[in-house]
This record gives sequence, structure tokens and C-alpha cells, in this order.
Amino acid sequence: MTILLQLERGIAAYTQSGKEWMMGQQIEFALRQSMHRVLVVLVSFLPGLLAFLVAVVLFAIVGAILGGLVRRILTMTRFDERLSRGTGSATPASLFEWTSNQPPSRLASRALFWLCTLVGVAIGISAFAASYSADNQMPIFLLPYLTHVIGAVLILFAGTVIARFLARSVLISAVNAQLQYARILSVGVKWLVMVLAAAMALDHLHIGGSIVSLAFGILFGGIVLTLSLAVGLGSRDLVSRSIERTMERPSGSSEVTSQRAADAQPRSRLRHF
Amino acid sequence: MASPSSIEGLGASPQAAAEQRSQGGDSPRLLLCVPSLPDDVLSGLLADLATVFRRDEVLIASPDIEEPEFTPALPLTVFDGTRVRSDWVLTAGDYVAANELMQRHDATQVLLLGADVAALPVRAIREMADRIAAGGDLAVPSYSLGAHDGLVASALLYPLTRALFAANIRFPLPMDAAMSRRMAERMASVAQRQAASQADALLWPVAESAAAGFSARQVDSGAPIPSAPAASDFNTLFVTVAGGIFAEIEAKAQFWQRSRGPAAAMREPPAGQKNGGSGDIAEELPGMVEAFRLAHRNLQEIWALALPPQSLLALKKLSIAEPEAFTMGPALWARLVYDFALAFHLRSLNRGHLLGAFTPVYLAWVASTVRTVTDDATAAAHREETAAAFEREKPYLVARWRWPDRFNP
Repeated sequence: MTILLQLERGIAAYTQSGKEWMMGQQIEFALRQSMHRVLVVLVSFLPGLLAFLVAVVLFAIVGAILGGLVRRILTMTRFDERLSRGTGSATPASLFEWTSNQPPSRLASRALFWLCTLVGVAIGISAFAASYSADNQMPIFLLPYLTHVIGAVLILFAGTVIARFLARSVLISAVNAQLQYARILSVGVKWLVMVLAAAMALDHLHIGGSIVSLAFGILFGGIVLTLSLAVGLGSRDLVSRSIERTMERPSGSSEVTSQRAADAQPRSRLRHF
Repeated sequence: MASPSSIEGLGASPQAAAEQRSQGGDSPRLLLCVPSLPDDVLSGLLADLATVFRRDEVLIASPDIEEPEFTPALPLTVFDGTRVRSDWVLTAGDYVAANELMQRHDATQVLLLGADVAALPVRAIREMADRIAAGGDLAVPSYSLGAHDGLVASALLYPLTRALFAANIRFPLPMDAAMSRRMAERMASVAQRQAASQADALLWPVAESAAAGFSARQVDSGAPIPSAPAASDFNTLFVTVAGGIFAEIEAKAQFWQRSRGPAAAMREPPAGQKNGGSGDIAEELPGMVEAFRLAHRNLQEIWALALPPQSLLALKKLSIAEPEAFTMGPALWARLVYDFALAFHLRSLNRGHLLGAFTPVYLAWVASTVRTVTDDATAAAHREETAAAFEREKPYLVARWRWPDRFNP
């Protein structure tokens, strides 16, 4: 009796271990299938990636050569010296000086380099996309989004650059006009541009939809209102004096020309020029 | 150069002289370019000039006439230059046009007169012409100054020109200039390079003559310093002038980095008209100090991009000084100017921003000067002290220009 019981238990245990072995086999098979699919996708992905990298590197090299060539030509023609003579905001030099602490020739050559690299990126992306067949099961929805991401990054970069430039311009002008709220004005202008750039970037990425537009409108309007109140309340006297001067000023241009130095001197008793 | 005797023999009648000039048989010794003037002022000027010039030695070029005229006073021709800003200093277009006219009439000297011509005595104009006839290449007038006149020239233009170009010319940015033929040609070639991008670019004939090894002289005109144009505000003019001199320093870096002796001593021109008591101006001092404090509170991060720590510390100390003790020493001022000139060269930040941030520092110097200078004698001493400080501190600029990073931690 005891022997029979032991035999029954042995058979049950054997059956159990057989089932476990079969499960292990199935799991192993499933894992291998998954690995195979991953490898297949990777194999189909790599040529596209390689094409992308080749296009970017190739165009970067072309850009470097062209940039170097342009820089050499500009140096030979003394481009920097010609531009540096003009320091006013209306001169061509000011276009090159928005952000840069580099000479215009170097800036031009760098711009050419990055333009070529960007063209390489665009061509690389199209080559990347073309390497996929229509029946490819890899989720490729991220690919066109990549171009939007690049566009959004460029918008943010441009926005940051413009914001910094305008903020400094406003700050310096306001300080030279001896406005006590120069810093507020500068920060306000900076955030106006930054908010605008961020809203444009989000819109470009199709994130947020109408919420972004609404939030942008509220924020932008709020900043403008704040600035208006700050400037309006802070400089009522200044504005009224300015209007009074405008009303009293004679309209003839010849009279204005003959009225020398009155406006050119910040303090009437000092003659700077 | 046509000899006076040969010229005298040709002037039988104005018409004959005109014919002979048109045939190239006669050439005036001096071409005198005047700005656009009302008819009565022009005729008065011609009458005055006729008292110091013979009609056969000078040809007047005016932009107000359409064809050559031979008035009883002096012969006139058309000045077809582009006088962009004829109400202030000479610009690139003026030099180009004057040189063209000089070549056309084969003149040997040219005298470019600015908008202050009505105030400039004809004796000074004659003396400028004589300086060129005696072998000089450039002659510019010096004006009489009050204690608080011509501050930009005293603070910036004169000290920089004297220290870096070894030229002791009190007003390096002239409204009037007499030039020899080679000087006019040189200025025209420089101007032509500028005119393509900016016809009203400021040129620096004194620096140019120094770089070329030409001689430059000044003539005491006795006239009051001409006023700035009414159309521009102070900030715009200051940025234009400071940017112009900094660009000139950058362009001629190889010249001024070579060591050369100090400029020859110069007699201070006589004092000009008094423009209010110094006590009245001293009342403005607290406001000027407060304006500097405002700038210091707001522009520190911008100044930090251009100035080394020592200069920033000096400005900080200045910002907490009381108006009664608000003093920017000549050495500190010289170093600050040199720091900004270097930052302009290195493009440490946008040049428009840099020059805008330089304006409050200059106004701080003005406040310090207003506190220090009480009369014409102290003003002259202060000008001399400032210029001498620029000469003493020149090695600082040379060292920073060559090794900019050595001065920053």
C-alpha cells in the first residue's frame, strides 16, 4: 500500500516537472521570437541610420570647406573692417552683432557651415524615411515629428537670442533715459519674446492645441498690461512733459535745424560736443 | 603748384579766367569748399574771404550754385559732393567729393569748411591755408573753450589721439580742415572704402595723417566751439563718436602699438565764452551721481562682460561715494576707456550695447569733472591731467590688447 502511494506521488511529480519543462520551452521560444523581431527591426533600421549619418557628415564637410573658403575671401576683401566702421543700428554691421562676439566674417562662415549641416540633416531624414518599406511594421510615426522638433528647437533658439538682444537694448536705452524702472521694462520685454517663442514652438509641435493659444493670449496680455501700468503710472510726468514739448515745438524743419544743441545736450549748461 | 606770378598774369577778366580754367591752362592753388549757405550769408562770406585771398589763388566750391560763376569777389564752382550731414563734422562723402573736385581743377590744396564757417574768422581760414602752403599736410582749427565745453573732446578724443597717435591736436574730429593734395587723396581713399556702406561715416584725419607720417597742425581760431546738430540726441551722437574713435583705434592697432615719444606740448587755446557759473552746474551734481548709481544697479552684468574685475571694483566704489566725494581719477578714467576700446575690438558683446553701456561711465566722468573744475584755469589743468593719464596708461592698453585674458581670472 505504501509502495503504491509512493509510486503515485512519483508519477505526479514527473508529470509536474514535464509541464514545467514545456512552459520553459514555450517561454524560451517566445523570447527568441521577440529577439528575432527586434534584430530584424534593427537590421532594417541600421541602413537608414547609416544613410542619415553619411548625409549629415558629408554635408558638414562640404559646409566646413565652403565656410573656410568664404571666410578666406571675406578676410582678403577686409569685410570686417568695412563693416566695423558703422556702429549705428541702421548699419549692416548691426545685423551681424545681434548675438555674436565674433567678427562678421567668422559669423558668415559659421552660418554657411550650419546651413549646410541642416541641409544634410534634412536630406538624411528623407533618406531615413525612404529606407522603410510601406509594409514595415516599425512604428515610424516619430520620424516626421523629428523635423518638427528641430523646427521647434530653432524657434526657441531664435526666440532666446532675440529676447536677450531686445532685453539688453531696452535696459541700456532705459538706463540712459534715466528711467527708474529700466530693469522691469527689460525683463518684461524679455519674457514677452520668450513666451511668444515658447508658444510658437509648442504650436509647431502640435502640443496643447487651443490651450496653448489661450494660455499664451492670457500671459501675453497680462505682461503687456503689467508693463503698461508700470510705465504709465511710473512716468506720468515724463509723458505729460513730452507731450507738452511736442505741442510747443515749431513745425518748420528749418527752425528745428537752426535750433542747435538744445536737444543734443542732456543737461543744458554742459556742452558735450 | 602754379606759381603766384603765373597766376597773376592770367587774370585779365573773369570770363577769360573761366575760359582758361576750362581749358586747363590755369589751376587755382587753393580749392575752398563751403557748405550750403543762404545767399546773403554766402555773399557775405565771399566778401570776407576776398579780404584775405586774391581771386586768382582760390576757387570757391559751393553746393548752392548750379554752374560756375565769376562774381566780383571770388570765382565760384559747383561742389557736387554728397554732404550728408552738413550741420556737423566732416564725413566720408565730403572728403571724396573734395578730392574729386581737387583733381578736376588740379588744385594743390583743399580747404573743407563746415557749418561753423560763419563763426570761423577769415584770418583763421587764411592761416590754415598758409600752414598747408608752408609744407604742412593737415591744418585744423582749435576753438576756445569754456570750463564745461567740448567735454567729449576733452574726455575722449583729445587724450586718445594724443596718447595713441602722438598728435597734440585739441579737436581731432574737425568741422573744418585744410589738406595738402596727398592728404586729400589719402582721406578720399579711406573715405571711398567707407562710403559704400555708410556715406556719413566719421573719419579721423588727424589719426590718418599720423599713421601716414604726415604733419598735422592746428590753428587757434578764437571761435567758440560749434554746437552739435539739433536733430540728433546726445546718446546717438556719443555712440557715433565713441564708436568712430574705437574703430579707428582698432584699425590702426599696428601703428599705435609701436612705442613713440609723447606728443609735443601744446598751448591751450584761450578760454571761450562763459556758459553759466560753475555753481549752477554744481547743483546738477547730485542728479548726475544718482544717474550713475541707477546705471550701476542695472548695467553691472553688461559691464562685467567688458571690464576686468579691478575696473568693476572701482566703479562699485564710485557708486557708493557721496556727491561731495564723487571723484573719478584720471588714471581710472583712462583705464576704463581703454577697457571699453578693447571690448569693442574683442566684440565682447554687441557693439551698440557696449557703447550704450559706456555712456553712463562717461557721464560719471562728467560728474566728477563738474565737481573738480570750477573755472577755466582748473579746466585746462584737468584736461592736461587727463591727457597725461592716457599717455601713462598706454602700456596697460598695449598689454591688454596683446594678452586680453591675462587680466581676467
